[in-house]
Amino acid sequence: MDMKRDYYEDIEVFSSGTVLFWSIALFVFLFTLPLYLSSYNIYLFNIILVHVILAVGLNILVGYTGQISLGHAGFFAIGAYGTALLMTHLGLPFFVSIIAAGLIAAFFGFIIGLPALRLEGPYLAIATLGFGLTIMHIIGRWDIFGGRMGIQAPPLDIGIPQWGLSALLDSDVKMYYLILVIAIVMVIGARNMMKTRIGRAFVAIRDDDIAAEVMGVNLLTFKTLSFAVSAFYAGVAGGLFGFVLGFFDPFTFNLILSIIFLVMIVVGGLGSVLGAVMGASLITYLQYDLLKNVDEMPYLGDALVWFSRKFFTVIGLENFNSIMLGLIMLGIVIFEPLGMFGIWIRIKKYWKTWPF
Amino acid sequence: MKGTRSTVFWLLALILVLMLPVQGHAGAPGFDKKEIRIAQWGPQTGPAAPWGSVARGSDLIFQMVNEEGGIHGRKVKYFIRDDQYNPAQTKAVVKELVERRGIFAFVGGVGAACGMAVKDYLAENKVVWVGPSTAINEYVFPVNPYLFGIYPLYEDEASVLAKYVVEELKVKKIGFFYQNDSYGKSGLDGCKKRLATYDIDLAEEISVEPGEKDLSSQMLRLKNSGAEVVFLWVNPTSATIALKTCATIGFKPQWVSSNTLSDFPLMNTITGGLWEGVITGGFGIPPDSDHPLIVKYREAAKKYAPEERCGTFYLAGVLFAEPLIDALQRVGPDLSTEAFLNALNTTKDYQGIGPKITWTPEVHQGTDSIQIQQCGPGGSYILLQDWVQNELATWKPK
Repeated sequence: MDMKRDYYEDIEVFSSGTVLFWSIALFVFLFTLPLYLSSYNIYLFNIILVHVILAVGLNILVGYTGQISLGHAGFFAIGAYGTALLMTHLGLPFFVSIIAAGLIAAFFGFIIGLPALRLEGPYLAIATLGFGLTIMHIIGRWDIFGGRMGIQAPPLDIGIPQWGLSALLDSDVKMYYLILVIAIVMVIGARNMMKTRIGRAFVAIRDDDIAAEVMGVNLLTFKTLSFAVSAFYAGVAGGLFGFVLGFFDPFTFNLILSIIFLVMIVVGGLGSVLGAVMGASLITYLQYDLLKNVDEMPYLGDALVWFSRKFFTVIGLENFNSIMLGLIMLGIVIFEPLGMFGIWIRIKKYWKTWPF
Repeated sequence: MKGTRSTVFWLLALILVLMLPVQGHAGAPGFDKKEIRIAQWGPQTGPAAPWGSVARGSDLIFQMVNEEGGIHGRKVKYFIRDDQYNPAQTKAVVKELVERRGIFAFVGGVGAACGMAVKDYLAENKVVWVGPSTAINEYVFPVNPYLFGIYPLYEDEASVLAKYVVEELKVKKIGFFYQNDSYGKSGLDGCKKRLATYDIDLAEEISVEPGEKDLSSQMLRLKNSGAEVVFLWVNPTSATIALKTCATIGFKPQWVSSNTLSDFPLMNTITGGLWEGVITGGFGIPPDSDHPLIVKYREAAKKYAPEERCGTFYLAGVLFAEPLIDALQRVGPDLSTEAFLNALNTTKDYQGIGPKITWTPEVHQGTDSIQIQQCGPGGSYILLQDWVQNELATWKPK
């Protein structure tokens, strides 16, 4: 049974043989994915994985620590620009650049974490919102960042080309493996961190920050740490995103993106790593793929075209995408307060007790 | 409650399954005996949705071509994808189209960053791209064998307009108000190069960040400079604020602007009538012209898309597709990407409702010409000067 005798059992990566088996099955599936999917789907998976890293990080802040951020697109942008610029201008190797960019994002996260000591709820939301918008505009005004025209990401070389150790990732599939490995490391890292003293401190702050302080949780340390860790995740995700895209401008990191990130973790389930993974996957899929080719669908397509012509404007059909996205989000939030994680728990319970 | 929950769950699952992508034709070469597959991305929703009419405009001319029996027996199958002006989504829709549908050529395509994100991908996959709806030097210099530009460069446009201001309006005190990005800066550059040939310096040059809402200090500086003509190389919002500010401080120069602001009915509405009298460049014949082609397209638009406003941007979609159709027709029944590229590269002085277009294997910027138009009463178009070339264009082979 699930009896735990030691705190260290809590942070084991695989808590039982079953979990180990299915985890390995999942990894095998993920690593062989390019064998069954076309390059387009792999591109979509790359975006999904980038969003997974970000959502898991955002969830540490929002779901576990109970803070809010409407400025995560800002950290995302710092990661993307930081990585690309460190590589092009300073000639640093990829891994050094992306970690450095992540740390720069984390530093900004720490700075934003300071007002969070005094601000809560809507006020914190405004502060972080301001941060996100400011970053977008600062980048747009500086020529070193390519201004509003944007910049081209350098070729993705994960070796050290200066020393003759070149490992160029020039296709979506190669990039997929890199992003997949980083995503797995970071997701497992987040999952374990939440089970350690740090994670428990975050949860304590979320549940009641005064009580947490009374118990000896240093609010200054842990609130800013939560912001910094979350921003680090966003920075790393942004660094990868820049390469997936190849070319980006400041407007790519707009307010809507910050809100979509928040939607991902709310739909997925706040305060659960698995929820963030599921939410990021679902929302990205819905946004990028769902209903993009609605008029070419058999039967349903014709019906929707007719419906749109009759009741909507010329671009009514294109808005179906946003309408469906909104409805699915509403449906999940209303009927599944725990998000997709709640659905997952029920499915798990059903099969655990099956056939009863 | 449990019942409702599982119903909702299964309903969601059903919707998702229903919406699984339809698997289409397999990849290259983008055409078969019956059809040629052509596509365009464009923001149908989101912040730049008004520019989405470009993609729908191209649909008009393809429908007309299909009505007449297609091109050498092949119908054009046209795909529009909404990318919400987001380069990450542009790349997704373009990959989806190229890999799942098999696209022969892209036409138009709004958004500088959107285009830059897919430019190399299209070239790698040997998909031809004709007439991006933005002028960006990186698109055409150095020459990209698969990309054919139509849109006049902002530098050329500003140069031609400056010539008009000095030679026809006889004005020497000129101010320049520009957006601080490549669009604004290349306009400024073209204007300065032209003025240098007359030994004139700008009376004032002021930049603006898009999104700035208070332009009173900038407008006062322009007023104090005594400029009689002010170039306006900004986006529609900044232009509107600038004109309204100047109306309140009593500064009434002759405004001269770029073709991006040449949708006069729209500009006249959002500026509350202040747009009347503004001179702009034009990359296409005005939509209210009685040019036989424009009349033909207007009639067709009434038939195929009665709900559309047949404005500048809608017709721009037609304009970008015209030389593509011309090249396809010249290729003949033996279609291939190579033959099509060959036909495009030998396009010489082709003219539809846009400027004369010439492409050679060495130069893929199709034109350096603009019209000069003025906004008349009620957002109507007054043609001041027919197509004018920029003889100072730096990129033209000598």
